[in-house]
Amino acid sequence: MTEPTFEQAQQELEQIVERLEHGQAPLDEALALWERGEALYAACRAKLDAAQGKIEELARRVEETRP
Amino acid sequence: MAKVEPLAYEDKTVYSVGAFNRGVAQWLERLPSVWVEGEVTELRRHERWASVFFTLKDPEEGASVGVSMARGQFDGLRLDLANGERVHVFGRPQLYDQRGDFRLRALSIERFGVGAHLAALERLKTKLAAEGLFAQERKRRLPLLPRRIGLVTGNDAAAKRDVLTTIQTRFPPANILVAETYVQGPRAADEIVAALRALCEQPNVDVIVLARGGGSFEDLLPFSDERVVRAVATSPVPIVSAVGHEQDTPLCDLAADVRASTPTMAGRLVVPDLGELVQRLDRARDSLGRNVRRTLDRDVQRAERAHERLRRAPALLVERKRARIEALAGKLGTLSPKATLRRGYAIVRNEHGVVSRVSVGERVDVELAESSFGARVEDVR
Repeated sequence: MTEPTFEQAQQELEQIVERLEHGQAPLDEALALWERGEALYAACRAKLDAAQGKIEELARRVEETRP
Repeated sequence: MAKVEPLAYEDKTVYSVGAFNRGVAQWLERLPSVWVEGEVTELRRHERWASVFFTLKDPEEGASVGVSMARGQFDGLRLDLANGERVHVFGRPQLYDQRGDFRLRALSIERFGVGAHLAALERLKTKLAAEGLFAQERKRRLPLLPRRIGLVTGNDAAAKRDVLTTIQTRFPPANILVAETYVQGPRAADEIVAALRALCEQPNVDVIVLARGGGSFEDLLPFSDERVVRAVATSPVPIVSAVGHEQDTPLCDLAADVRASTPTMAGRLVVPDLGELVQRLDRARDSLGRNVRRTLDRDVQRAERAHERLRRAPALLVERKRARIEALAGKLGTLSPKATLRRGYAIVRNEHGVVSRVSVGERVDVELAESSFGARVEDVR
């Protein structure tokens, strides 16, 4: 299975939060959903941190090449 | 009176030359005396001669007639006539019978008076205007920077000095070609025409100034002479006319491409002021530089703002996404069963899963926030 993109992960996370908010899932399923949600959140965070790191790196390189 | 008798030859009537001349002369003498207008040329006066002779010329048609006048009468008029002057001659036609010469026998001569000149001028003006010589469409623009400037003027006239000084002050490198002529008197008109022609034939003459200072009405007459006016109107080189003072309007002023009120004004018209020109160029160059720099500055600022936004854009995007994810994570946290456990609740399961009812002695698994354990139900309430 390929790694989901940020957008896919975010979308799934939103769906999970929505289902948990409705409170209709049986407890075991809710637990599983919650675990999945936490995993998705971690994945999203990792992608955002990576993106930010890249942006800062690029900004620094641009700053250095400025006349 | 001498006889005019024919010779008899059978049926022919024949006259001797003398009789023929006398006959015509007698017939002519019956014609009335009239005034004739023309220009004096070939004036001949001799102490030995009983009469003074000159040729009266019609400057427009080129026609001419001989005039004679008794020397005593002529001298008595004290006219001091010169060739080229316009006069009114009162006289009658006469045939000099010895030679068969037809001439006007003058009884009186009047120099062309101001009134006569004015009337003649008005006639000429009307005629030339009808020909379109003064039309606005004929006027040409003066060159901004003439390569050479022709100047037609009197030989030591203040007008000449005024034009030269003005041109040289305003534009020191000006190249001026001066043609000196008579600017008044009977010979002036022809000389002015010749001078204009001569200047037009010189290479690189881009404009000609015709200058003469103020003078009496008669003094300025050559500048209204038909020959001069035509030469000015048809000159291949643009002409600035600066003749007389502001109130004088000789006809050459009307025919010229530009009329200057004074010789000094003519000088100002034919060359630009070099200092002013240089200043104008400098100012233009400065403002050109300023404008370019201003445009450049504006573009640089715009590019920098765009760059700034470009740089901030991804970070903002990440921030927005992070905020959204954090919001979701927050919700996830509050919704998680673990949060409920942390508030002191426990999950109780048997082998079938989560239970909501138990019986005494039943074995269950209890899950707490931090740990879980197995238990047996002791009593049910």
